[in-house]
Amino acid sequence: MSVGYEPKILGFLCNWCSYAGADLAGVSRFEYPPNARVIRVMCSGRVDPVHILEGFKSGADGVLVTGCHPGDCHYVSGNFSTERRVEIMKKVVNKIGIDPERIRLEWVSASEGRKYAELVKEYTDSIRKLGPFPLNEISDLLDAAIGAFGSERVRWLMNKQLEEIEPEKAENVIITSIEREIERYQLFQILEKGNSTVSEMAKQTNLPSDVIVQHLIALMKQGTAAITAEAEHEYIYTLSR
Amino acid sequence: MKDEPRVGVFVCHCGTNIGGVVDVPEVVEYAKTLPYVVYADRNLYTCSEEGLNNIRDTIKEYNLNRVVVASCTPRTHEPLFRVACQEGGLNPYLFEMANIREHCSWVHHDSKEATEKAKDIVRMAVARSLWLEPQEEPELEIKDSSLVIGGGISGLVAAISLADQGFKVYLVEKEAELGGLVRQLYKLYPTLEDTSEILNPHIEEAKNHRNIEVHTSTTIKDIEGYVGNFHVTAIKNKEQIEFDVGTIIVATGAWNYHPPEGNFQYGVLDGVMTQLELEELLKEGKLERPEIIVMIQCVGSRVGEIWSYELVGLFHSQATRLLSKILGARGSEEGWAYCSKICCMNAIKNAILIKEQFPESEVTILYQDLRTYKEYEDFYRRARKLEVRFLKYIYEIPPEISEAPGNKLRVSFYDPFAGEEMSIICDKVALSTPLIPSKDGILLAKKLKIPLDQNGFLMEAHVKLRPIDTQIEGIFLAGTAAGPKDISESIVSAKAAAARASILMGNKVIKTEALTAVVNQDLCIGCGLCEELCPYGAHIVKDGKSTVIEALCKGCGVCVVACPQKAISAKHYTDDQILAAVKNAFTEQLT
Repeated sequence: MSVGYEPKILGFLCNWCSYAGADLAGVSRFEYPPNARVIRVMCSGRVDPVHILEGFKSGADGVLVTGCHPGDCHYVSGNFSTERRVEIMKKVVNKIGIDPERIRLEWVSASEGRKYAELVKEYTDSIRKLGPFPLNEISDLLDAAIGAFGSERVRWLMNKQLEEIEPEKAENVIITSIEREIERYQLFQILEKGNSTVSEMAKQTNLPSDVIVQHLIALMKQGTAAITAEAEHEYIYTLSR
Repeated sequence: MKDEPRVGVFVCHCGTNIGGVVDVPEVVEYAKTLPYVVYADRNLYTCSEEGLNNIRDTIKEYNLNRVVVASCTPRTHEPLFRVACQEGGLNPYLFEMANIREHCSWVHHDSKEATEKAKDIVRMAVARSLWLEPQEEPELEIKDSSLVIGGGISGLVAAISLADQGFKVYLVEKEAELGGLVRQLYKLYPTLEDTSEILNPHIEEAKNHRNIEVHTSTTIKDIEGYVGNFHVTAIKNKEQIEFDVGTIIVATGAWNYHPPEGNFQYGVLDGVMTQLELEELLKEGKLERPEIIVMIQCVGSRVGEIWSYELVGLFHSQATRLLSKILGARGSEEGWAYCSKICCMNAIKNAILIKEQFPESEVTILYQDLRTYKEYEDFYRRARKLEVRFLKYIYEIPPEISEAPGNKLRVSFYDPFAGEEMSIICDKVALSTPLIPSKDGILLAKKLKIPLDQNGFLMEAHVKLRPIDTQIEGIFLAGTAAGPKDISESIVSAKAAAARASILMGNKVIKTEALTAVVNQDLCIGCGLCEELCPYGAHIVKDGKSTVIEALCKGCGVCVVACPQKAISAKHYTDDQILAAVKNAFTEQLT
């Protein structure tokens, strides 16, 4: 690790428990490393996966989301929504090259000043071990993920109670669907920059060409993409708006 | 950003609390370099009269349309600074705080590091402030009438208590008679007075009270609206009646559990009955001679695993599961995990009644643990003096009941103290069964969007701090609808519910939350995900569009993150505002 590397931590703190817990750490003068920049939200349930990913894009090496303990949420069940979203997110980001430890959800109550101080210390150390966020390496993928997590399909999947499906099955369906959505956004980004062919897209994304073709068919069905020309036995795809 | 922002930044020394660690002048100079910041200065104490005057005057002098105070936590000082902004002519929601004390100078000792962090915190606050918008706190009128659902002892007491204060009360009872479950009881512990002595005066008073409109044989069909303005539709003898109320008290009570047929030989052998059925025999004078009676405690209660005290929303599947459990109470052996709290006292009461009427009777109470708390200890000792026998059995080996010669019953059980199998030949066996959630309570909870606890009772807003309120503003819980209670506890909760409701109605208006969710009607497709997720029932989907009832919304923002169309935004916590802080957390320049 580079000498003197100081990790940058972005924290989302719910107003009622965790922010108050952080206040108590202050009142109690519990010292902790100055690496975290925190944002107060009313409920951890207000933290959008997009906010977390934007945090990485803005330079964070780790994002810490804290809320009230289960059962203590000021808004009854907001933290359950957060927990579900973060759990799914961690599994998805792992597949695009972001260590899931870079996203951490913890419960900190208004009385847990010491816990907050220790959490920031421990999390800073843990991110220090992981090193800087590989922003340059995965910046395109990160953008695709930001697009995907803001998309209609992913927001549905992350928030709808799928009672009819067994929980493990449901989770698999959700995670693969989000991965597919990220792939689709990768292609979308390429087409945004200009026309492209399947082989070019395969080169840029490392995705198998049959997967790319499937996505292009879907994008064409949506009316988002179209074949506009043919060159050297390949179709040229264009973004249509 | 609609108007060109003009931000004023006030950095506080807080004596030496901040100034002792953070280089305040450096932070001020830094703030001055940020775009849109037209004024930045420091105060020894920004919260002092002098500091607040400075804010008021500077707003006018510099024509500020955003104010950022870098000092302590907004959790304590935000209201104070907001008022100062308002007095300076600025909408209080155009104010933003940068917490450089609790989150900085108090927890970091290195002056350089703390100063750098303080600058970052100020930059984030300024960035966020650029996106702030003025907000209003709407006022809402509260109708001075109340609906009390359930005409048992809790409903009666709550209705009378509200009516005595001058509020109009609609008391709705589904049965033809008022009185509820208490009507089936004979005498009440610990005073042993007749139930009618307590119940009848209340029924008469409710019926004759000029402020109470009693509707028996009436069921609730629909309740629309929100705190202060509920519209109630009820069915009374097949006819529809409608009225408007400001508050609602739910006093739907509880049911008494019946063991499934064959369990403890209930419904199979004559002489095996529930404790309540035994009490009805006593009431009707059908216990005509001394008998040998065995009472078995904890039948159908304290069974199985206790779920952790986790709050759950009213998911459809859970409600359905609970309903089938309740309706199948006669057929399922599932039982209930909690202690029903009143059964020990009830059994002792009936034992005393029997022993006092026929001293030659033999009464044995088989218990797992005996719970006669507070002054009820006296009552327990009184039973012991009357030679009521208390014997312990263990949960793993429940007593068995079989036929015995001469039309008698044999109760066999393992006594852990004696360490051996015992059996008692008796005439009657009374099974002490718990109070369980009522079907009506669960259906009503669903209608009103009140969460249920894991057992199916209506859930209070906070188990310790708000035991009478529900999550839905303007709706309160009285009596056993919220869990097992005895008469005195039910009355306490009924009076508390009346007091809680009267606070709302007495004030006539309430200020509602300014920070609510808003639905962009053009983007909304009416999918209903927000309605499903909202813990307060604030989202209503009608005609393919969702709207937020501001009076119900608490502004948590869970729906905002869920909305597939991104049609919902949270006032004062919009994506733009949050992302402004995110994007400026680690850059030197404001972006």
